[in-house]
Amino acid sequence: MPPATRTRLERALLAVCFCTLALYPWLYSNYLSTTLTQWLPDTSTAFVILAFTVMGLGLNFVVGYAGLLDLGYVAFFAAGAYVAGWLASEQFANAGSVVFGGTVLPKTPGIHLSPWLVLLAAALFSALLGVVIGVPTLRLRGDYLAIVTLGFGEIIPQFVRNGDNLGGFNLTNGAFGMNGIDGLGFGNTVHHAIHTLPSNFLNELDSRWYYWTALALVVVTIVTSLLLRDSRLGRAWIAIREDEDAAAAMGVPLMRTKTLSYAIGAFFGGAAGAMITLQAGATSPDAFSLQVSIFVLCMVILGGIGNVWGVTLGGILLAYVNYKGLFAAGNTFNSTFGTNVDISQYAYLIYGVAIVLFMLVRPEGLIPSARRRAELVEEPEEENVGAEASPA
Amino acid sequence: MGTGVGTAAASSRRPILALVPRIRSRAVTALGILLLGLVAFWLVENAVHDIGQFGLVTLNGITNGSIYALVAIGYTLVYGILELINFAHGDVFSWGAMIAYSVAISWLGADNHSGIELFGILAVALLCAGAFCATLNVAVERVAYRRLRNAPRLAPLITAIGMSFVLSNAIAVVYGFNYVSSEPLLSRRALFTIEGQSYGWDKLIVLLITVPTLMSLMVVVKRTRWGKAMRATAQNRDAARLMGIDVDRAIAFAFGIGGALAGIGGFVYLVYFTQGRFDLGFQIGLFAFTAAVLGGIGNILGAALGGYLIGFIENYNSGLTWHAPGPSWTESLIFILLILILVFRPHGLLGEELSTRS
Amino acid sequence: MTAELLVDARAIRKEFGGLVACNDIDFTVERGAIVSLIGPNGAGKTTFFNMLTGAYTPTSGEIVFDGRDIVGLPQHKITALGIGRTFQNIRLFGAMTALENVLVGMHSRLRSGLFRSLARTPLQRREEKDGRAQARELLAYCGLSPRAEQQYARHLAYGDQRRVEVARALATNPKLLLLDEPTAGMNPKETIAFVDFVRKAREERGLTVLLIEHDMRVVVEVSERVTVLDYGEKIAEGTPDEVTADERVRSAYLGTKPVS
Ligand SMILES: Nc1ncnc2c1ncn2[C@@H]1O[C@H](COP(=O)(O)OP(=O)(O)O)[C@@H](O)[C@H]1O
Ligand SMILES: [Mg+2]
Repeated sequence: MPPATRTRLERALLAVCFCTLALYPWLYSNYLSTTLTQWLPDTSTAFVILAFTVMGLGLNFVVGYAGLLDLGYVAFFAAGAYVAGWLASEQFANAGSVVFGGTVLPKTPGIHLSPWLVLLAAALFSALLGVVIGVPTLRLRGDYLAIVTLGFGEIIPQFVRNGDNLGGFNLTNGAFGMNGIDGLGFGNTVHHAIHTLPSNFLNELDSRWYYWTALALVVVTIVTSLLLRDSRLGRAWIAIREDEDAAAAMGVPLMRTKTLSYAIGAFFGGAAGAMITLQAGATSPDAFSLQVSIFVLCMVILGGIGNVWGVTLGGILLAYVNYKGLFAAGNTFNSTFGTNVDISQYAYLIYGVAIVLFMLVRPEGLIPSARRRAELVEEPEEENVGAEASPA
Repeated sequence: MGTGVGTAAASSRRPILALVPRIRSRAVTALGILLLGLVAFWLVENAVHDIGQFGLVTLNGITNGSIYALVAIGYTLVYGILELINFAHGDVFSWGAMIAYSVAISWLGADNHSGIELFGILAVALLCAGAFCATLNVAVERVAYRRLRNAPRLAPLITAIGMSFVLSNAIAVVYGFNYVSSEPLLSRRALFTIEGQSYGWDKLIVLLITVPTLMSLMVVVKRTRWGKAMRATAQNRDAARLMGIDVDRAIAFAFGIGGALAGIGGFVYLVYFTQGRFDLGFQIGLFAFTAAVLGGIGNILGAALGGYLIGFIENYNSGLTWHAPGPSWTESLIFILLILILVFRPHGLLGEELSTRS
Repeated sequence: MTAELLVDARAIRKEFGGLVACNDIDFTVERGAIVSLIGPNGAGKTTFFNMLTGAYTPTSGEIVFDGRDIVGLPQHKITALGIGRTFQNIRLFGAMTALENVLVGMHSRLRSGLFRSLARTPLQRREEKDGRAQARELLAYCGLSPRAEQQYARHLAYGDQRRVEVARALATNPKLLLLDEPTAGMNPKETIAFVDFVRKAREERGLTVLLIEHDMRVVVEVSERVTVLDYGEKIAEGTPDEVTADERVRSAYLGTKPVS
């Protein structure tokens, strides 16, 4: 459905959702925290939830649109995280001091670019990595591709882990990972130029700013998804997902089109990775397990493969469960029954059961795209289809 | 003449265009040969440097390779018949190791027995692990995959990933997240030594179990009615159905056999390494899958061969002393190998070239 | 002089393992002609199509299309050079609407890429609007009712799916249109209408048509030349009358599959 045909109700709903999300930090501190602290994420946790939602939306370009099962998406998260480490910490202190809009004092050793530039650089680097990985592997079909991407998802953390001694050069700091990564902020120069910015450039912006940045990124990702879906490129992706041979016979260049979806997915994965790293101030190879890839994949499946709104909802929901809901549920459970069970330990058991059940019972996800429903439901639903179809 | 012009123009253009794929495939072959040559040179050089170490590492390779071979066959059988990468297979293997632990150590106290009693206990544990995993694998197929047989191709694969999480985390629920382990069950006393390096019962038993298992598998697949039904189904499911083969049962049989082998693999792993953990099957499963692809997926002999090759690669890389990348690179090496095979020789060493349909 | 060749295939050969699906076939199509390829099931007709479109690379031989050697070119380039096709068993993009299916067919003619689509430049909007209008026209041209344009291809009736497939192939703006058993599953009335459609399309769009067909009446009615394959061999070639009179053809083809 092109945006133009959205009903008034849907638009109103969207506006309300967006406003609630935008005002969440304020709502949380003023109204919600007192009564619902147990169950609601604080602003920092909400930031992480949104950042992971960006990953889900990014993976949706690859899995949902182009139908390429990528089990190594964490590689791009890692790429983004390490670009943030390289460009905004003292990792390369030997190289002297390069401070360009970074949130540190002048003359601090190492490279310290403006975090906004770091985000962009991380996304671009990650997209480039996507092309590099994609070109040799995207010609493979379905499940082989899944395994190869999984392979990359395993190789890259191992490379990071061993990267403290690449012919004597310390690129990644090995298993320790990187620490002391700068936070989000506007840096000295900008701060002096524009006086209305938050006080004291040295203090990183508080968690609300992270949250709003993540929210902005979510919006950018959603808009990109929608614009591309209803374009020549988006049609080519879906055609490839539906029938690769037929798509090629109709003039769709398979490799280029697939690589593009992979690169765009990587772009947002890298941005999210960098953002999470800027907030955490540190990153390490332990953060890049297969579990992350599967977790993000679950968002896409749960939300309804290919459906932007579904994936957004799935992403927020699942990330919420993972970062807050399970703890909260565990605590409530324990305090009610006087037990001492760590439910979050069994998160992946729960996710596993959820994946299986979803594929068996509701393969179209929470909010399937109308398309996807057409794909998975056998019998024709004439009236429905007519109603959903869009007079452009 | 119109025709003449057309063809002349075309033939002048022909050579360059037509040669591109050929040049590329030659270059790939040449590079492949060069790479193999380098590896061979590296092995010889290592053997010359320290023959004892080399012999020991080779024997270790055979031992580890046996486990990969046992697990790889389960991947190959299922892929051959359903074109599904049974992601949960590695975790069935983990269950095999854990069940073997429960039976042999927790229940029958194998660590306090020796001689003929010990072998009796181990035999019981072997049977239990094999039977349990066969049942488990059949159940997984029945519950999770059968309904998706005609679904879009990625659906069963995603389900298999979910199943993998369920199975491995279920182990954690039962056995906890930490290693279970025991004292060595079999004496590590040397049966023989090469250049000061010893080879004991703990390694020999791996071969004593694996080799007969693989041989009886061949017989089952080639000679028995069930085996034939399974192969017919793998060849062409519809034709098999028309010939009166119960396809569902043939598929269940493939899962059963694969599961039993994984269970035996798990048992062997436990006896050799005397430890196990819920996520054991993840990496071993991936290596075994690589082995199956290496040998040519769908090909049983290829899977066994691939298993041993992976065993060698792993041990040569981590055990040899002269210019080996070392154990911290093993995973990467094996995955790079997997990627190279999938990209350049997707039909593997023994598999037939599959062509895509249009 | 007028007989310029659009397709000139020489000694085309395709092997699958040990099976020779096309055995050194020489084959030419004149510009503007309607040519039929016939033969029993498994004769290698579809395989031949797949080599023309680049889906398969011939084991050996050369194919010159419109003055260019196309062996080894990727499929989308061949499509862009002007070969459009339909499939024997319909292969629409089931979860896309009829209109979108046709728009995919226009892929190589449209220009907007990533950045124009994101910026929604005026150029992109116009292209999109014109593309949709053209796609509608094509669907109407192929006889699809406007009501069906917005339906998912998967939900269309069989006959409509065939129509959309032809429209999608025409959307690639082909010089050569390959139709793989297009009348399979049609009733006699539809078949007659289809024959008229093919003639009309050839005249109005300057097409050359290569047709795989089982229905001999269609073959005799519509085609100027016929080539007969059997077990990967070309066993006869000529006008429909010559071919139907050929003894080998009668025994190989007509014998096993009588004219219905
Ligand atoms: N991708 C393929 N792999 C193996 N064999 C194939 C493939 N495609 C076609 N064949 C074989 O080539 C022969 C010719 O098939 P085809 O061209 O489809 O025949 P037709 O279209 O004339 O009925 C058949 O024996 C078929 O089984
Ligand atoms: Mg055919």
